[in-house]
Amino acid sequence: MTGMTVTEKTARSVTDFMDDPISFFGQSYTQMHSIDRGELEALQRQAMGIRFQQHRASIEMLRKLADRLGITALNDFNDVVPLFFSHTAFKSYPAALVDKKRFDLMTKWLDKLTSYDLSDVDTAGCTGIDDWIDRLDEQTPLEVITSSGTTGTISILPKDKHGARDGMTLWKICLFQTFGQEPTERELNPSVDVVWPNFANGKLGHLRIANMIKGGFTGGDESKFHALYPFAVDTDLMFLASKMRAAASRGELDRLQIDPALAARKDEFIAMQARQPQDMDAFFSRITEQLRGKRVFMLGTYHLMYDIAKAGLERGVRNVFAPDSAILTGGGMKGVALPDDFMDVIKTFLGVDRIQVGYGFSESSTFHWGCSEGRYHVAPWVIPFVLDPETSEPLPRTGVQTGRAAVYDILLRAHWGGVISGDEVTINWDLKCPCGQASVAFEPEIMRYSEKQGVEDDRITCAATHEVHNEAVNFMKGLDL
Amino acid sequence: MIAYTVPLFLRGEVITEDMVPFDTRVGAAQFQAPDMSKYVERLPLKSPAEMSDLYELSFDEILDVLEALGDALDFDTNTHLQEAYEASLVANVLPPEMMQNSYRVLQPLFSRDNVTEIADSQVGLDYLNGWVPHTLHDGRELRVRAFGSRVLHIPAGNGGLVSAVTILRSVITRSDVIIKAPSNDPLTAVAIARTLADVAPNHPITRHLAVGYWKGGDLAVEEALYQPQHIEKIVAWGGLASVKHVTRYIQPGLELIALDPKRSATIIGHEAFDDDDTMREVARRAATDIGVANQEGCANARVIYVLSGTDADGLAKANRLGELIYRELVSLPAIISTPPRYPNRELLDHVEASRMTEDFYHVIGGEQREGAIVVSQFDEPVDYSPMLSGRVANIVPVDSIDKVTAAVNAYTQTIGIYPESLKRQLRDTLPLFGAQRLTSLGYACNVAIAAPQDAIEPIRRMCKWVVDEECEAGVVIPLWKLTPA
Repeated sequence: MTGMTVTEKTARSVTDFMDDPISFFGQSYTQMHSIDRGELEALQRQAMGIRFQQHRASIEMLRKLADRLGITALNDFNDVVPLFFSHTAFKSYPAALVDKKRFDLMTKWLDKLTSYDLSDVDTAGCTGIDDWIDRLDEQTPLEVITSSGTTGTISILPKDKHGARDGMTLWKICLFQTFGQEPTERELNPSVDVVWPNFANGKLGHLRIANMIKGGFTGGDESKFHALYPFAVDTDLMFLASKMRAAASRGELDRLQIDPALAARKDEFIAMQARQPQDMDAFFSRITEQLRGKRVFMLGTYHLMYDIAKAGLERGVRNVFAPDSAILTGGGMKGVALPDDFMDVIKTFLGVDRIQVGYGFSESSTFHWGCSEGRYHVAPWVIPFVLDPETSEPLPRTGVQTGRAAVYDILLRAHWGGVISGDEVTINWDLKCPCGQASVAFEPEIMRYSEKQGVEDDRITCAATHEVHNEAVNFMKGLDL
Repeated sequence: MIAYTVPLFLRGEVITEDMVPFDTRVGAAQFQAPDMSKYVERLPLKSPAEMSDLYELSFDEILDVLEALGDALDFDTNTHLQEAYEASLVANVLPPEMMQNSYRVLQPLFSRDNVTEIADSQVGLDYLNGWVPHTLHDGRELRVRAFGSRVLHIPAGNGGLVSAVTILRSVITRSDVIIKAPSNDPLTAVAIARTLADVAPNHPITRHLAVGYWKGGDLAVEEALYQPQHIEKIVAWGGLASVKHVTRYIQPGLELIALDPKRSATIIGHEAFDDDDTMREVARRAATDIGVANQEGCANARVIYVLSGTDADGLAKANRLGELIYRELVSLPAIISTPPRYPNRELLDHVEASRMTEDFYHVIGGEQREGAIVVSQFDEPVDYSPMLSGRVANIVPVDSIDKVTAAVNAYTQTIGIYPESLKRQLRDTLPLFGAQRLTSLGYACNVAIAAPQDAIEPIRRMCKWVVDEECEAGVVIPLWKLTPA
């Protein structure tokens, strides 16, 4: 590539950039985060415009929104802002459709959210959400991810298999490479065991990633995949919990009809929870004995990592894994404070040099990796925005801006890539990060608006809100993903 | 920046010392109030015997004081009210014109006729003012009197009327009252108390009233105060967290009168579609039930069941009604309803998602955050119905009357119904599911004080119903003379 001018490169490769960024950047994390900001933005603008035209033709909900707003083309970054989808777009189906097992209508709903044609999907006899997702897996390019919500519905995100594959390749690039060094063979094709301190499987959010990781990191070798709990959590159970939570918030638990098959699984789940201490013991022996000194990829929330590490140190176990293992954590603090030295506790137990953190949200597809300065550097195929939290108007792309995070993710092909998060973020647009990466970065402090509100608010009105009025869903507490 | 001060009104004395700051919902603005941990010991009565002065008052004198109070609650001249209004602009979500109007409606509340009607219908003047005799079947003479109690009130703050009603109820029951001012209506109760001190300085009624602010959940204050030796009853309005929080202090000797957080619903019969004029009238009434005080209250309409049917014709009717309601909603006068100042972002995201889900929902308005009508295109409400606020309502077309019971559940307060014949048809059924008040469409937020509230009689509950029995041994067979059965 040496000797090529910026213009030639841009003209030649916008298609490569947007459709195969991994090759475009030579599988190199360093290249991804070294590209000149101006050059990158030109590519991003073009790619966004092209992807919009593709998606406008193939995603009905986007087309209708664009038509209503009179948007026919995207030229500048801010042009996309009115077209951003909130998380609500992915749960806008009536929950009653699931209760009534109208998965034909669910498919019709999802068809309008994805670029793929779902009109031939056969849902006859579909028994539940997981069954429906299995059918979509079998019959379409989709690999749907679900996540829990508070309104009695769950989000249904039409991700695809292609994106899942690319995603895992990208994870490997980000996890094993070091910025400033071109990748080695050992980094590009790492041989690792995967440590997954979670439920073994499921369609739900992170659990779905379990299978992707299994495929991406172990080639599907079950013996190299070590889950904390040896069972799956089904989405239908989560849907039930969500429904119970919603019924409780409406004062209607007394008339909630529970599918008997699901009620049985609820009891099963409670029994599984009762076995969790034994599962934890077995998992612990496995990682400290069988995996001792091995190179692993382990991921989990701060809390999980800390709990395991603390238990390990108490048993006198430390330096469990090979120092070049990849450890990924994140997920926020969920309101519970950890001691100041929690990272040291985790590192001492695991015996690794670095612990990586990432930031992302499920409506987007990309994780943004933390740098040595603690900032989350935005992947080059993602255009970040900071929006006014009240009006959703874009804040200037200069100076230091704090507001609601939104992204346009060019890599997303199965669904529209313009999404608004529920997170308050800060971007210093003018910053040249001392870590050396040229990319834009989210500052380390990220907070969910939902956690921010109500902290200092004791105002009282006589109207009932959607707070949950009782502990009807206690049984789901063990599944705090 | 300190936007306003919430003084402690301590039985006639106004205290503005030992100030500590509190955050408001508006950005950098703070307010200040005396550090209640320093005054909590002075809040309750030292001895219940000190309540005896209230029993030397004739009810006429109570009426005189309340009438004078009402006369003095003239917004144009009363500086306490004006100050409360200024604070409410920071503390409350409602716009200025509406807040100002809410102070203008306080005056008539305290009129002689109104107070007498409330006292007589909700407790009984005889019981409030003396011993009411009654002879039981076994011959004993009962005399029953309603005594006041030492009450702590935690009123809701979504309108100043709640604080005013709280004071009114306390005075007519001859109670000793401590009011914890709500942070979203910080000064109304104080303003009324100060006005009372102006018109009736050192009067027993004034000396039995304390109003102050501490942060809900402040253990230093609440654990010291919420004790049976200090207070006998806590009246807690709304606020799930607040009511739940108070329950930890409930024990023998300390009772909770919970006016739980509530929601309301609306049922509209097929008669609404008889002709265009009727439809417009129904739309105006429904819009009023939705829009009053920007749908912040428990009585506001949120989910509106319409017996239009769910076939194509039925949906067309429901959509047409939705259009008309929307039009009426945005035309309501500003003292009744305005676009919300702080719309719920999460709710609006759901509304936008519904707008994109045309197979199931038809969304009218909402693009300027002015309010919206979401018409379900099948017989179920939106899944986010508990969030409905800021003038966003959901019309649900149904085929039959059996389906409308879905509108009512354990958290239901008011059901606005059209027409009256449908109300009569439903009134024996809906209460079984939880409905507490059935009213004519358009009157949901037009709440009478002289009526039970939330299916209880709070004023009666605030009283202690004391019995004096007189048993003549010759009439009522004494136990000591009882022979084996």
